[in-house]
Amino acid sequence: MALPLKYNIRNIIVRKGSTLATAFTIGLTVAVFLMVMALARGIDLTLSSSGEPLNVIVLREGSTAELNSSLTRENFKDLMFLDGVVRENDQPLATAEIVTLIYKARKGMTQGSNVTVRGVGPMSFKLRSGYKTIAGREFQPGLTEAVVSKRIAERFQGLDIGDKFRIQTTDYTVVGLFDSAGKAFESEIWVDINSLASTTNRQTYSSALLRAKDQNALTALTKRITDDPKLHLKATSERAFYEDQQGTASGALKGLAVFISFIMAVGAGFAGMNTMYAAVARRTKEIGTLRVLGFGRLSILTAFLLESIAIALIGAVIGILLALPLNFVSTGTSNWVTFSEIAFNFRVTLDLMLFALAFGGIIGFVGSLLPSIRASRFKIVDALRA
Amino acid sequence: MKFAKLIFKNILRNKRRTVLTISSLVVSLFLIISLATILTEFDRGSDQSSPLRLVSRHAVSLGFVIPIAHMQKMKTVPGVKEVMPFSWFGGIYKDERNFFANFAVDASKLRVVLPEVKMSDADWQSFVNDRQGAIVGRKLVMLYGFTPGQRVSLKSPIYNQTVEFIIRGVYTGLDEKTLYFHHEYVNEMLPEWAKDQVSTFSILANTPEDVPRVSKEIDSIFANTSAPTKTESEKEFALSFQTMMGGVKQFLYGIMAAITFSLLLVMGNTMAMTVRERTKEVGTLKAIGFQRGTITALFVGESLIVAGIGAAIGIGGAVLIFRSVDLSLYIPNFISFVPTGQTLLAAFVLSVLVGLISVIYSAYRVSSLTIAEALRSTE
Repeated sequence: MALPLKYNIRNIIVRKGSTLATAFTIGLTVAVFLMVMALARGIDLTLSSSGEPLNVIVLREGSTAELNSSLTRENFKDLMFLDGVVRENDQPLATAEIVTLIYKARKGMTQGSNVTVRGVGPMSFKLRSGYKTIAGREFQPGLTEAVVSKRIAERFQGLDIGDKFRIQTTDYTVVGLFDSAGKAFESEIWVDINSLASTTNRQTYSSALLRAKDQNALTALTKRITDDPKLHLKATSERAFYEDQQGTASGALKGLAVFISFIMAVGAGFAGMNTMYAAVARRTKEIGTLRVLGFGRLSILTAFLLESIAIALIGAVIGILLALPLNFVSTGTSNWVTFSEIAFNFRVTLDLMLFALAFGGIIGFVGSLLPSIRASRFKIVDALRA
Repeated sequence: MKFAKLIFKNILRNKRRTVLTISSLVVSLFLIISLATILTEFDRGSDQSSPLRLVSRHAVSLGFVIPIAHMQKMKTVPGVKEVMPFSWFGGIYKDERNFFANFAVDASKLRVVLPEVKMSDADWQSFVNDRQGAIVGRKLVMLYGFTPGQRVSLKSPIYNQTVEFIIRGVYTGLDEKTLYFHHEYVNEMLPEWAKDQVSTFSILANTPEDVPRVSKEIDSIFANTSAPTKTESEKEFALSFQTMMGGVKQFLYGIMAAITFSLLLVMGNTMAMTVRERTKEVGTLKAIGFQRGTITALFVGESLIVAGIGAAIGIGGAVLIFRSVDLSLYIPNFISFVPTGQTLLAAFVLSVLVGLISVIYSAYRVSSLTIAEALRSTE
């Protein structure tokens, strides 16, 4: 025979001070876990949403990032006329790009980080969905003008419309700000590819981007390019290229999240145990009475476990509420693959919240197991005499 | 103190509770100390940088290289004692997960420019004499088991080149996780754009006072060339790497604050339970003449002792663990992983404060009850 739930609820309310303290301890554990995971998730989501499903990115064989890759102009001509590349009005939907870094100071600091500068052609805008000018205008091809992502302009000094920044010996003027629905190139500055090539004295490109007709064409294209012994190039689907960059930065954060929240959970578990032992001790006589009334050992065990899991779940909900305001807060760190700034948002996603809820519940269950077993083992006579 | 015995009896009365509370304190303190150590180790890199050295790189960013020919002009700047190529090779040993720094340097100058790098004279000699030679830090030996004479291949994605080196010595000092080799040996194998180029120069000044002036003069020499430089003290250079981490620091502080707060809740809750259960006893004590102050002091003493024991185990445990396991082996750029004295002291002060704050309200409330109220308590 199970004890009515009302019994548990009453008990939780009667001891509201201690219930709240325990719940908050678990809540803080859950909140810290969620916040660190939300950071890692933000990086993952930014990078995984960045690749267009049908885009193919071509780098030099052996390169891990665009920054240390190079392709010749002949390479690019070969690539753009390959079978399987989409054509628009007889123009292949393909572009070469040049990527370089400039060092900029963060706002309010003297030190900063590397920001990616990408030299792009007209097709670059068509190959990437989500690009939107939100202030100012596009750069004029051939001029030393630049458009800057809004997030980078917000985080670094001297990158607002009208500001000038220097690459090598050339000054570029910022003429517009853009936005791109949270993709990785939202951490970049875009300039005209020809002007960047002459500014940096580069004869070669960093990468090439091609749009494949369909999934089969994509597979065929990547194989065709990578296997060509004359080219010495490596083609990957753009999606896989960005997903591969996730590992380092978000992996370290996930490790940190597990380490911190595990230790905090142990601490919270001990605290929960204390509370439950005290509750059991205080209610010894009550437990005796319940047993006399005919409630079995199992009902007592279940009642105490449920009560503590309920407290833990309240805690987890508090934790989620504490972490939730961080959702979509913008931040940034260095992408450890490219050594450049990557701007992203904290993302407290539904699956993370459900996981956090389960995590809280488990802390409650583990913490109350021993006290509940103790409660169920009381002998009726002893319990009543306590 | 004549009440010490009473306090200890009280602590031992509910052994399980005391043990659980102390355990909770211990793990939380361990965590706080670990996180604080991550923060202090971030700083250690820049704190241990030499006040005599400068780093010069391309003005735009580390993504650009500068000609090695810059070295001659740099040497002519008054106050400069030595200039050495210090070029990031980015070589990968077998697998990308085996990350360690490797630099192309001038073997004959390394000892002068980085005097912190210590090795026997014989080892220095055999490194300098072997163009294909390389030296590795003590911790790299611990991680990968390198031995002198061993051939080690590094594949650099930056230069798309695999180069084989022969280990000629194991050094101690600095991070002990770096491999140094001859710049001139690798230079021949680099692609055209990277030939006779370096990513950074390490510059040794005569005196620390020379450093700011040297930095300005070098940068002005190259300001209008195709490879302008940015020259800064080694400390500033290290700091610029730290700011690349962005908001990580503030984030860690936030987490530490959350842990402290939860510690306060745990201790506060335990002490509240303890005090409440003894309400009747407080009545008895009052009835036999104990003053309110004494009763409060008894509770405060109990809480402080529990917190003190927790602090001793937590702090001692952290010191022991980090002394036996060197986490810096596994964290890139970390020279060591040792809690500073300041961190440990702060952890101790924190536990004392937690012990004090968590009991004060309950103790005050129960000791202000009248004898009758306290004795009538049903707890």
